[in-house]
Amino acid sequence: MNDFFASVVDKFTRCFIAKSYWKMILQGFRDSLIITFFSIILGLLIGVILATIRTSYDKNEESLKIKGGIGYWSLKILNSLCKAYIAVIRGVPVVVQLLIWYFIILATQKNSIIVAVAAFGVNSGAYVAEIFRGGIMSVDVGQFEAGRSLGFNYVQTMIHIIIPQAFKTVLPTLLNEFIAVLKETSIAGYVGITDLTRAGAIIRAQTFEAFMPLIAVAIIYLVTVIVLTALFTRIERRLRNSER
Amino acid sequence: MNGDVLIKVIDLKKHYLGGKVKALDGINVEIQTGEVVVIIGPSGSVKSTLLRSLNLLEIPTGGSIIFEGVDICDPKQNINLHRQKMGMVFQHFNLFANMNIIDNMTIAPRKRLKKSKDEATEKAMELLKRVGLADRANDYPSQLSGGQKQRIAIVRALCMEPDVMLFDEPTSALDPEMVGEVLDVMKSLAKSGTTMIVVTHEMGFAKEVGNRVIFMDGGKIIEEGTPQEIFENPQSDRLKSFLAKVL
Repeated sequence: MNDFFASVVDKFTRCFIAKSYWKMILQGFRDSLIITFFSIILGLLIGVILATIRTSYDKNEESLKIKGGIGYWSLKILNSLCKAYIAVIRGVPVVVQLLIWYFIILATQKNSIIVAVAAFGVNSGAYVAEIFRGGIMSVDVGQFEAGRSLGFNYVQTMIHIIIPQAFKTVLPTLLNEFIAVLKETSIAGYVGITDLTRAGAIIRAQTFEAFMPLIAVAIIYLVTVIVLTALFTRIERRLRNSER
Repeated sequence: MNGDVLIKVIDLKKHYLGGKVKALDGINVEIQTGEVVVIIGPSGSVKSTLLRSLNLLEIPTGGSIIFEGVDICDPKQNINLHRQKMGMVFQHFNLFANMNIIDNMTIAPRKRLKKSKDEATEKAMELLKRVGLADRANDYPSQLSGGQKQRIAIVRALCMEPDVMLFDEPTSALDPEMVGEVLDVMKSLAKSGTTMIVVTHEMGFAKEVGNRVIFMDGGKIIEEGTPQEIFENPQSDRLKSFLAKVL
């Protein structure tokens, strides 16, 4: 028994303490969080814009078609572009996308973190767009009609009535997507970033010890996701309270 | 202005699939200020489609709707300004689920008519008192019964001080015991001289309150006249057989 503990302590020391590898884990974790945070922001931005275009087109197609003119055509083209974007993003593995950003689109960019944020953000945007579109479409069409019948224009109806209700329905799915982004960033090592996963891999290579670094990395991801989930549960509860 | 005529519908058409399906097939009708017009007809006779076309929730494919002297089907018209003057009450109430009752009633006057919060609230509370629901001002729609929701929906529309009220089967989604309270509100509205267009299956309401009854079937107006003419002396076979079933 004593031998077992002694060997665990020894392994722990070699993996994290001896050469200050814990600092690398911490820095890797920080970079993972930075990439995740900005990717989520970028993804939300892209997603909301895309969802707005897609739903505006679906909801107004009939009336715009009758009106005709530039409004209809520009929205139709924008809508097609959004659909193409979503198709491409969903059809290409995120590792391949990351490498394309790194070696082709942003080949001159020296800061790999920026490359990663671009890749993960643009990737997430496509999914967030569909999440928001689903949320907007799940709001009863009667809510929309009631808004319009009172004289609200399309944008006012969306802002005051539809989006607040849609937001509540998309929260759980949105959390799913945020968690997915956090975990996707574990491939950032492919473009030379020492993120959390990569830090663990380096320790493993240096110490020939697989258990400690891998489990440590896994626990850090797990705890992060649990904290994120708790945060969202609170937001959800607060939103639900405001309605009752 | 066209004198007394508030809404004039001219040869209104709503076709689907390039004309294969004719939901509205050339409707002509005039609504005068202060009139209560009741539209009746069997299911599928697109009564609601006609009503919803009047504020362009359904977009007609032909004809025109002259509202207060302006053709609102003209794409150059700002439809939002016209809709402000047409209150609409839906079968399923459609109160905004994310707002309490007072916000439901004041948001449109504040955002569209640029009323102050106090002014809009005062007007809303006065209307709530009229329908006996002043104590529910801070509740959310999900806490109300169907009849209460519909009464709120009526006064929400009235907060915009509309020139005409459109009712789309306002009692069809209600429990039978709640129909009365909603009809009472509508009756008192009619007495106060509000112009109303009502799609309903409540023949009693049509008889008692309607100035004019329109019978529709198959996308056309088959007969129209006073309640006496329609209910006591129907001309067409279609109307006779409809009344035989519903009365």
